[in-house]
Amino acid sequence: MIFKLEDVTVYFPYDNIYPEQYSYMLELKRALDAKGHCLLEMPTGTGKTIALLSLITSYVLSKPENPVKLIYCTRTVHEMEKTLAELKLLHNYQTRHLGPAAKILAIGLSSRKNLCVNSRVLAAENRDSVDAACRKRTASWVRALAAENPNIETCEFFENYEKAASAAVLPPGVYTLQDLRAFGKQQGWCPYFLARHMVQFANVVVYSYQYLLDPKVAGIISKEMQKESVVVFDEAHNIDNVCIEALSVSVRRQTLEGATRNLSRINQEIERFKATDAGRLRAEYNRLVEGLALRGNLPNAWLSNPALPSDILKEAVPGNIRRAEHFLHVLRRLVQYLRGRLETENVEKEGPVSFVASITAHAGIDQKTLRFCYERLHSLMLTLEITDTDEFLHIQTICDFATLVGTYTRGFSIIIEPFDERMPHIPDPVLQLSCHDASLAVKPVFDRFQSVVITSGTLSPIDLYPRLLNFHPVVSRSFKMSLTRDCICPMVLTRGSDQLPVSTKFDMRSDPGVARNYGKLLVEMVSIVPDGIVCFFVSYSYMDEIIATWNDSGILKEIMQHKLVFIETQDVVETTLALDNYRKACDCGRGAVFFSVARGKVAEGIDFDRHYGRLVIMFGVPFQYTLSKILLARLEYLRDTFQIKEGDFLTFDALRQAAQCVGRVIRSKADYGMMIFADKRYSRHDKRSKLPGWILSHLRDAHLNLSTDMALHIAREFLRKMAQPYDKAGSIGRKTLLSQADLEKMTNDGSINEMLY
Amino acid sequence: MSGAAQVTKRAKYKISVKDPGTPGALRMNDQKLMFMPDNRNSGAKLVVEFKSIQGHKYTKEGSNKPPLINLANAQGGSYIFEFDSYADLHVCRDFVSKVLEKSKETPNAALEKSAVKLPDEQLSEEEMQLRIKLLQENSELQKLHRQFVGGNILTEAEFWAARKLLDIDPSKKSKQRVGFKSAMISDIRPATDGRTNKVTFSLTPEIILQIFAEKPAVHRAFLNFVPNKMTEMEFWTKYCRAEYLSRTKNYHAVVAEAAEDEELAVFLKEDDILANEVRKKIRRVDPTLDMEADEGDDYTHLPDHGIFRDGTKESNELQSEHYRRTLLQDLNRHAAVVLEGRTIDVEREDSTRALAEALARSKRGNEGADNNANEERLDRTPRVAEIEDLQAPHCLPLAPLSIKDAREYFDSQQANTLKASRDSQASMKCSLSRQEAYGSVRDAISEIKDMGLSDPIVNPEVALKVYSGLTHNISSIKYHLGKNPRETVLDRLPSATKEKLLYHWMSIQELLKHFWSSYPITTPYLYSKVNRLKDALSNIYPQLEEMKESLPADLRHQVSLLVRPMQQALDAAIQHYDADLQKRSAKSGEKPNGYI
Repeated sequence: MIFKLEDVTVYFPYDNIYPEQYSYMLELKRALDAKGHCLLEMPTGTGKTIALLSLITSYVLSKPENPVKLIYCTRTVHEMEKTLAELKLLHNYQTRHLGPAAKILAIGLSSRKNLCVNSRVLAAENRDSVDAACRKRTASWVRALAAENPNIETCEFFENYEKAASAAVLPPGVYTLQDLRAFGKQQGWCPYFLARHMVQFANVVVYSYQYLLDPKVAGIISKEMQKESVVVFDEAHNIDNVCIEALSVSVRRQTLEGATRNLSRINQEIERFKATDAGRLRAEYNRLVEGLALRGNLPNAWLSNPALPSDILKEAVPGNIRRAEHFLHVLRRLVQYLRGRLETENVEKEGPVSFVASITAHAGIDQKTLRFCYERLHSLMLTLEITDTDEFLHIQTICDFATLVGTYTRGFSIIIEPFDERMPHIPDPVLQLSCHDASLAVKPVFDRFQSVVITSGTLSPIDLYPRLLNFHPVVSRSFKMSLTRDCICPMVLTRGSDQLPVSTKFDMRSDPGVARNYGKLLVEMVSIVPDGIVCFFVSYSYMDEIIATWNDSGILKEIMQHKLVFIETQDVVETTLALDNYRKACDCGRGAVFFSVARGKVAEGIDFDRHYGRLVIMFGVPFQYTLSKILLARLEYLRDTFQIKEGDFLTFDALRQAAQCVGRVIRSKADYGMMIFADKRYSRHDKRSKLPGWILSHLRDAHLNLSTDMALHIAREFLRKMAQPYDKAGSIGRKTLLSQADLEKMTNDGSINEMLY
Repeated sequence: MSGAAQVTKRAKYKISVKDPGTPGALRMNDQKLMFMPDNRNSGAKLVVEFKSIQGHKYTKEGSNKPPLINLANAQGGSYIFEFDSYADLHVCRDFVSKVLEKSKETPNAALEKSAVKLPDEQLSEEEMQLRIKLLQENSELQKLHRQFVGGNILTEAEFWAARKLLDIDPSKKSKQRVGFKSAMISDIRPATDGRTNKVTFSLTPEIILQIFAEKPAVHRAFLNFVPNKMTEMEFWTKYCRAEYLSRTKNYHAVVAEAAEDEELAVFLKEDDILANEVRKKIRRVDPTLDMEADEGDDYTHLPDHGIFRDGTKESNELQSEHYRRTLLQDLNRHAAVVLEGRTIDVEREDSTRALAEALARSKRGNEGADNNANEERLDRTPRVAEIEDLQAPHCLPLAPLSIKDAREYFDSQQANTLKASRDSQASMKCSLSRQEAYGSVRDAISEIKDMGLSDPIVNPEVALKVYSGLTHNISSIKYHLGKNPRETVLDRLPSATKEKLLYHWMSIQELLKHFWSSYPITTPYLYSKVNRLKDALSNIYPQLEEMKESLPADLRHQVSLLVRPMQQALDAAIQHYDADLQKRSAKSGEKPNGYI
């Protein structure tokens, strides 16, 4: 359908539109007009992504004088693929109606591992070795050598791509990773380098969060993005955690041992160069004297870092580390110092300022030197022509640590723990530099880009996010979901069939009665719910434990009589296959149960829509591990800086995870699903009220304190009701599905505003 | 046939089963059978051509009856021979069945051309047995059989065709392949006897097959080791030992044991075949749930980056990772295997070795087939991206039906639609293409969409009224029966009348069943059958009347009440017959006109 939204003609690839989508677009458009940031919460299953994509592309089409680039960030690669698939649909629709004028270039960007088509490179086992294998074939010095010596292997795809030079462009269109690989194979060009090159010309770029947030990657990929870009963070409910993780580093014994090995290897290289090609080291020295500002001349450079304060770009590398061997000495001293710090018997906690002071005192390395370690190391590795970068991860970690600790004076703490307190008998000292302030990593993004859109199905309470991320949205709204029928059925189960309370609270967790009641609940549910059921547990260890209990007591066997059982494990490959099989089992009508973990990889980004999930059971409240020193430090920081109470934050965090888990069952208003929160603590108002509004509004008072048998009864009734035919467009008074005619009529008589507010 | 062209056995010729019989020699060749009594004067000498023999029955070994064979001739009579032993009986039986088969081929070829008769069933022995058993057990059935088959109203085949459901053919049933059990039977548990330290594992072929399917490395080891390196017993002992070890969850012990015994290590180590398979499969996975690609893109979680010990990630002991096989992995693997389905049958009592080899063969066969599935899945991704209710569906999702014998199913479906359509409109096309069928379904659906289903098709009040009206009789009878059994109408009748009445009712039912099932008349054979049935039906009227006449007046009314539904049913049948006859004659009359 095509309709006018104020002064923008929106091309929307479906015949109908939900009212929520319409108002979502309207708010988004106003934010774009105001060139400001915005925060939008819209329930899952209301077609957020397509509304967003079609508004922004239509916006560009309507205002060609103001070409904005869309940078769409997803949490995961599979979400990237989904987004691109939706964009493809939209693009086909737009070109069908507007002709070639609507053509855009949209690409997904990922690592070499996901884009490479060279089978010999791909044979490498993990991401880092793929990266290294690629560098081994494509680094400029390797190619220079290969020109003389035909025995040195290069990559034919990269060579072809280089040969094609400026002719190597992607024709307009929407390219998923799969399409990029296919195109690369067909043309004989390297898809990875082609995609990275095309990023600056593309109208839409879809990639993962860290390409903007993580300074290690952002510097390489995102430096050329223009200010006139709209940055979208989809599924952004966890964005604060991503930001924090991006700036956190931990150092363990293995790291230090590895770093020591790396350093001696670097030393050897330096000696070798001194003997054979001393000029090169001298050239590097001279370059560094001239300063980092001229770094653009470096071949294949690792480049500017948006997360670092801008003054670093104007500063030159301090004199004491310009020489390679001096830098090596500095690093040796640093490693030595850290090793000393790890030898502690007690838990230590320190701020970055005092930590740096202590390094200066004991190792004689000042703050400025620390700050440049990252840049200096990469410069050195380039000079030394090191291609097997995957071997040097440890020393890179140390330098990352040094740079971070040298750069920031607040928002961090250094925590040294001699052992994991859950396993006090195993000495495993770790030194963690943990970031507490999510705004640090995301600040450059807010500063640099015209509009940043943060959106998700669960952003409640919506006023918390601007505080956590320290920004000022021009629009901040939470949308309700208008349902044609009550197609979601949340329930709070507090008691088992024996009327004893169920909970994963610490003191009840190991109670066999709770495990049995949870098991019985599932056994009953698998026998009445068709197709797929998803269960979320609070942690891997709890899931392990409870499955073992169920296996021993025969509950698992009873479950298997009705449905196949698939489980998320810590091994992603196995989990992926399990998910794939789970879908197959749901497709073929066999039915299956998927056991998963809140905060796990599956909960983060896999949809269990339609028959893939008719019921989600959340066993317990997914609180963080509250004894974690890092969490305590973060809570303290939040309290001192933002006046957020510890308990509030923990509850907020647990409930957003729970909401995220259960929210995965709904894809559209035609879909339906049940959600069971199985823990007595959910019945308390202070916990429950933190759930997003669209779940709360369907949580009836009668469903707040159920036992297994009552839940079973409700489930039966619900499923029977959902099986009846209904009118998709909703009743006359309250339309839940608008056609183009409806929309025009409502715009004309002004009732559209009524609907929106 | 020439080798066994003639059989001679000692036997007794009997006129009936109870007859003591005449001893003599039975000689058979492929043309005829001859019986020469020992006593040449007894006059029981017999020469019968096989052409005139229609079927044969014989007693089963193990029953306490003497070894008898019964050869039925076309005139309804039979020749019974008693043999000295079952061995003799078997020889003769085989010979007779061979000859009969052969002699039937020739006349049948001629018969089929006229296509008036159904080809006689080739009765298997089991089926024959089953029929005899049914007849023996059910006296009513026997009565009906005697009346109709004996009375030439129905042929033997027709009589039994209506009872196809009764006889369960075991050979056909077992052909459906049974999948793997959902329960994890490969997760064998040790049993202790409680007194000694011994633990016992029990394995069945079913469990072994599942173990092989779920653990390819064990399968390979079995093929490699047994029987060259160790016996089967030793192999499984070792396997169970490994299972027991990993069950104890003492990883140090596992590592130590594995280091000592390399064969044992095979069971404890990570399954390399599985790992390879996984690597292959992960490339074909749906990109919208590929979390492995995600890990490949994750630069935040470089080793030692990100938050390390915040309680969400559990640190696991890295040592002996190699020998770690968790329950979760087993569960996933098990479910995957069950989902994949079974590729071979295990019902035959094969040796484990044969089982293992069959599995290996079927695996090789499957490898090629997988590739196509890949393309199909990639094709599906964009469709997943659409939101279903914002757009009218492009094409209705068609789920392929899982039908064992597709042709049989669709033939019968077509016959059904034909039946329906012929009644409503005679000139409908006989064969529907798939598009047409699909189109008509779509039309029907859109019709419903337009009209809506808001109004119930039938007014519930009316429905209730009709329903209670219909069932009133039943419930009242039941009520009366429950209260006072003597009060029922039937019980007040003299028992002879009652018997007769029930018998009539039964035979009418039987005839009507055959009658209605022969419509629509598509072959001349059915036509002749209907004629026969109609005659039989019309013969019942006078019998009913006669029965009524013979009763005293006070009972006559009651009986006539009971007889009325019978008569109505008969009337309906006869009426339909006449109408059909008229239609047919009209049609056959029109045709020539149309052509001229």
